[in-house]
Amino acid sequence: MKSALTWEIVAQCSRTKARVAKLKLPHGVVDTPVFMPVGTQGTLKGLTVKQLEDLDCQIMLNNTYHLGLRPGKEVLEEIGGAHEFQNWKRNLLTDSGGFQMVSLLKLACITEGGVEFQSPHDGSKMLLTPEHSISLQNSIGADIIMQLDDVVSSLTTGPRVEEAMLRSIRWLDRCIIAHKKPESQNLFAIIQGGLDVNLRRRCIEEMKKRETPGYAIGGLSGGEEKDIFWRIVTLCTDLLPKTKPIYCMGVGYTEDLIVCSALGVDMYDCVFPTRTARFGNALTSKGTLNLKTSKFSQDFRPIEEDCDCLTCKTFTRAYIHIHSTRETVGCHLITIHNVSYQLRLMRNIRQAIIENRFPSFIIQSFKDLFDSVDKYPKWAVNALNSVNINLTSESKNP
Amino acid sequence: MASTFSFELIVKPDRCFRLGRIICWRNKERKVMSTPNFLAYTVRGSVPHLTPDNLREIPVEALEIPLENFLDIQPPPSSLYPHGAHKFFNFEDFMLFFDIRDPGEFKKASFNTDKIVSVSTLQGVCKITSDTYVKYINSYNPDAVISLADMTTFEKTPGLKRIKKSVNRTLDWLDYALANIKEGIQVFGAVVGHNNHEERIRSAQETANKNVAGFLLNGHGLGATSRERLDLLKISINNLPNDKPRIAYGFENPVDILRGIFEGIDIFDGSYPSKKTEEGNALIFTLENEEFISDDTEKSLLLYLHDEKYKTDFRPLLSSCKCYACRNHTRAYIHHLLRTREMLATVLLMSHNLYHYTQFFKKIREHIEKNRFITFVDQFCQRYDDTCESKTIYQIQ
Ligand SMILES: [Zn+2]
Ligand SMILES: [Zn+2]
Repeated sequence: MKSALTWEIVAQCSRTKARVAKLKLPHGVVDTPVFMPVGTQGTLKGLTVKQLEDLDCQIMLNNTYHLGLRPGKEVLEEIGGAHEFQNWKRNLLTDSGGFQMVSLLKLACITEGGVEFQSPHDGSKMLLTPEHSISLQNSIGADIIMQLDDVVSSLTTGPRVEEAMLRSIRWLDRCIIAHKKPESQNLFAIIQGGLDVNLRRRCIEEMKKRETPGYAIGGLSGGEEKDIFWRIVTLCTDLLPKTKPIYCMGVGYTEDLIVCSALGVDMYDCVFPTRTARFGNALTSKGTLNLKTSKFSQDFRPIEEDCDCLTCKTFTRAYIHIHSTRETVGCHLITIHNVSYQLRLMRNIRQAIIENRFPSFIIQSFKDLFDSVDKYPKWAVNALNSVNINLTSESKNP
Repeated sequence: MASTFSFELIVKPDRCFRLGRIICWRNKERKVMSTPNFLAYTVRGSVPHLTPDNLREIPVEALEIPLENFLDIQPPPSSLYPHGAHKFFNFEDFMLFFDIRDPGEFKKASFNTDKIVSVSTLQGVCKITSDTYVKYINSYNPDAVISLADMTTFEKTPGLKRIKKSVNRTLDWLDYALANIKEGIQVFGAVVGHNNHEERIRSAQETANKNVAGFLLNGHGLGATSRERLDLLKISINNLPNDKPRIAYGFENPVDILRGIFEGIDIFDGSYPSKKTEEGNALIFTLENEEFISDDTEKSLLLYLHDEKYKTDFRPLLSSCKCYACRNHTRAYIHHLLRTREMLATVLLMSHNLYHYTQFFKKIREHIEKNRFITFVDQFCQRYDDTCESKTIYQIQ
């Protein structure tokens, strides 16, 4: 199918599957691997677009389900899309709305037609079809849009998993037909198949034939064993075409981003870094600080010494402690730092890959993040082992 | 380290209102505050909703920090920061005033004694002694401090004995502050006297005899209307020297501000833009004499952004405004942010409201300088006075 992006790999790690690429989208270049902050309702947790630009955020997420409710399709069409509506001049990605619906609305049920749900306004029965989802995403106008998929929990087993996988392929075909703006919006397919290797294989085989501009690994991060999670991820990156970006949905913890990048994933999103700011949690390369706790009331150091964000350049932990969770400014300052932290982490990952020192970067990051080698998560050790990095022995012999 | 603080009157017409300038030299740095002006309102050391980069987009010259915001823990941990309040709060480029109470939200506290003032904090009512206040102020090291006042704000009908005691205590506390506040921090004296004319005169005259940098007049609790409050404050103002600045609390909406300036007040508390922001209102009153003639501007002081009618209004809050919000966003977007309870709503509204408030005062100064202030006040009141006490201001209720 048509594509509105170009994808150029600029560096490849010589040991792992990690790669650095330039993803050219209608609203500018995105350097990958990339973390995409989530601005659910057309705004990112109180940050202005200028602050996001200052942080060098190249792409942000909006949620289709929320924008469809408010401001609604008509308002978005009248002003010319979500970029215009929120005055965001860089790239946007929207989800299909299906996942939000299934997770937010307890009463949603899935049929071949689409996702059936009760309207949150008047309780009437409504149906989100692949065609509706794409039509709404066409009105929103994001640079990357996602197919409607049949979402099942990653803990589901049995024939329902296969049914969901096969239906997701059928829905992809309906999405491709419904897509009105392939010249300016890139439709990504979503690989389903649960934790079953064979189902994943079959799904990839079929979806590859549709030649969408990029692919997402769906149906993970739902509470499954991390040791199974990474095996599915690495299977997908092995089987998907090397010439297209791969997006792993719902991933955002530091160690997950590092490991998945080593497995060859290019794009991530997660609400965690911005949501946790609201509770006073600041992310650092040495773990999370809860700035609400009184031990920070006289701590006159910045959140992170080597962070160059506005928050760390101007304020102490003691100042943020006074504000955290009481004044919105406290939340804004932590959000700025957390987004800056995520983007800096990705920048460092890319730089390490370009300079062909990604393996030693991984070793050092794990040393910073965990007190001792025996605290390293088992799954991360196994996952990295599969891409020729022996986390435990290499950590001991620097 | 020589530090100086001077108040220059630039224009002093025959009437009471005046145009002036405070120049503050400290550590070889010069800060200027043009008057009439206001002290930007802060809560717990930040202008509500505005991170420093957003605040720097707004030409605010001075800020006020209420110490009671920090008194839930004593000593306040922030007072132990070794480099002073300017740096701790990242307010280095602003003239910084401290007072004990929050001028925007006068919460009822308990009674005072000769040595103790009661205040309202996150942990409820707390007490602070007059010498502890001085100690904390010395460590925060602001540019100016308002000396403690024994307020009668919450007493319905204080008798003459109570009012006299309040005047005496306030003067005693001022003496202590003048003797013990360290060099470089300017002390403003609080003028009290409630509704008693003689005591207001005594408080004003005795305060004026001391070596204060300026005066504070608290309008809270002195009457239901700004007119009543002003009539009482005028008794004090008539007994104050011309060459020192006067701050007043309790005058907020633009018509009140204009009346206050007319009677000779130089500086106001800046809580109005914050209050309107919390309600979801944008300030849109006109600033130009010429605009009174054209009728396309709305005849309202405020724009209530919760209103459904802004859903598809793709104009900026105020088309002539140059603030960050108006340069970048529409009414429809801000309406959406309010409906979805997103924090950016108050960031944008506060950016606009505070900016507009600075422009309002800037225009006032220009009008005084060009000798057309009276015309401006007449036209402004004609246009808005009918509506300013009505629902449009307190639409949220
Ligand atoms: Zn930072
Ligand atoms: Zn504006």
